[in-house]
Amino acid sequence: MQLKRVLTLRTVVATSAGLTLATSSFVAAAQVAGFMAGDSAWLSILVSGVLCLLAAACFSELNSILPSAAGIRLYLGKAFGDKVALTFSILYMLVVMGVVGAESFVLAKIFNYTIPQVAPVIWITVMLAIVTLLNIRGIKLAGRFQDIVTYGVIVSVILLSLWGLKQVNFHLVAPLAVGGASNFIQAVAVGIFLFVGFEWVTPLAEEVTDSRIITRGMFIAVGIVCIVYALFTAAMTANVARDVFIHSPIPQVLFAQKVLGKVGLVWILLICLSCSFGTFNAGLLSVSRFFYATAREHALPPVFSRISMRFMTPWVSIIAVFVVGYAFSLVILYTGRYLVLVDMAAAAESIIYVLSAAALLVLRKKMADAPRSFKVPFGPVIPVLTMLIFAVLAVMAIATDPVIALWMVAGLVVIGLYVVYVVPRIKEKYKVKRSSRRDGRPIL
Amino acid sequence: MATHGEITESLQAFHKSYQENERLKLMNKDWNRTVLVIANDLESAHTLALKEGEMSFQEGRQGDPDLTVISDSDTLADMFFGDITPIEPYLNGTLKIIGSEDDITRLDFITLLIWGE
Repeated sequence: MQLKRVLTLRTVVATSAGLTLATSSFVAAAQVAGFMAGDSAWLSILVSGVLCLLAAACFSELNSILPSAAGIRLYLGKAFGDKVALTFSILYMLVVMGVVGAESFVLAKIFNYTIPQVAPVIWITVMLAIVTLLNIRGIKLAGRFQDIVTYGVIVSVILLSLWGLKQVNFHLVAPLAVGGASNFIQAVAVGIFLFVGFEWVTPLAEEVTDSRIITRGMFIAVGIVCIVYALFTAAMTANVARDVFIHSPIPQVLFAQKVLGKVGLVWILLICLSCSFGTFNAGLLSVSRFFYATAREHALPPVFSRISMRFMTPWVSIIAVFVVGYAFSLVILYTGRYLVLVDMAAAAESIIYVLSAAALLVLRKKMADAPRSFKVPFGPVIPVLTMLIFAVLAVMAIATDPVIALWMVAGLVVIGLYVVYVVPRIKEKYKVKRSSRRDGRPIL
Repeated sequence: MATHGEITESLQAFHKSYQENERLKLMNKDWNRTVLVIANDLESAHTLALKEGEMSFQEGRQGDPDLTVISDSDTLADMFFGDITPIEPYLNGTLKIIGSEDDITRLDFITLLIWGE
């Protein structure tokens, strides 16, 4: 089938890498460094990246069996049924909204550091309101400009990091001194946050002529992100005192200012703005479209499928995402516990990887004859390894704070109850309404 | 299994409802797209073309499509008659749409505005 407009590998890589590059990721990178002894943080980031490649391989095969913008929702639905798919999709979307909240908190702190006269709560309100309005109006960056921004951020962080390393005449002293197995595993678990979102490129499957471009794009993006964060973490730990970056919500700013003064401050501000704009946009867009689609399949009240006749956007869903994201931001702002959301996102991402690998094993049996352009080598070895490793990492990410376990279990129970008891009622109501309207259809 | 004729009728109903909706036409004034509708269980193809808000409809394949809608004949007929929403078969993999995510969403918006929830 010939498409008029197709995406190139360059755009697929930029999209996948761009989704992972967030302002809050620098905070996660500092947390990773905090777990590790000496200058070995790069090692845990590298391991997290390699492990994400295992998950990327599973996603690639799933995408080649079921190339659809529905992505994870479709994979899990086909493998485990709709209730499981819906439950985990809603949980995942809540975590994404949490990430939007954490992102706005960190960015507000950066603005507040730069212009102390304006309180963080005002920055948060203004930023989220602007992004929400842009989304309601359906304004998006053009594909090529988005690519330039993403590659610009990548090059900027690499240059800033290399400059920082040069400043201290950096050389690795104890690159393999991880400071104990438990710390290392916990660092790898939190390191997964740095790669959150790379697989969101799979919804582009219907916009490429060859689904192998998605596979290649994900692998290249994970590799690039790995290098970017490893370099940044090495440079940050070499320039900023350990106690300072561990306890700061803006370690990247402290680092940039230390190595380049005011120029560094402006530069990192631009980098963070670019990263956050991408994160806000991806978060708002994907979650609001998810709410809209879920309402359209009658698993959420129909109000969420209301669309703006003027801008052709699901405005109720977009506002709902704004409200939840804003609430998350305020909770973080007044509790100061921004790391809870980072760790929760890392745990949720790991759980999704476990489920996706399991779905692949199930679909290999259920859809054995389905054509596929990519198959993970070595039979079940890689999916099974992915399941086991990410199950351990999910537990380790949750173990960083008991509050995470509490919230995740509570979230799963509430969503599970909603899916089992409320969704069937909404669907039944729709069926009755629909059957009363069937009269118009001709009987053939 | 639905027939080619039934799919044609469903698309005619869809086309008629679209053309009667002036607001919808205004909304799609800048959305010029060719949509190919193919059944995967029988020989059946239809083309919907949107140009400056106006929708035209022809049997068979016409021109290069921006969007290609592929499903079994029953699903296509049900969907274009408005008996089911496109999201349901899309999420269970019965319906496949090749095209950009934005265009897929826009097509669903149009279906929603024609047939309701």
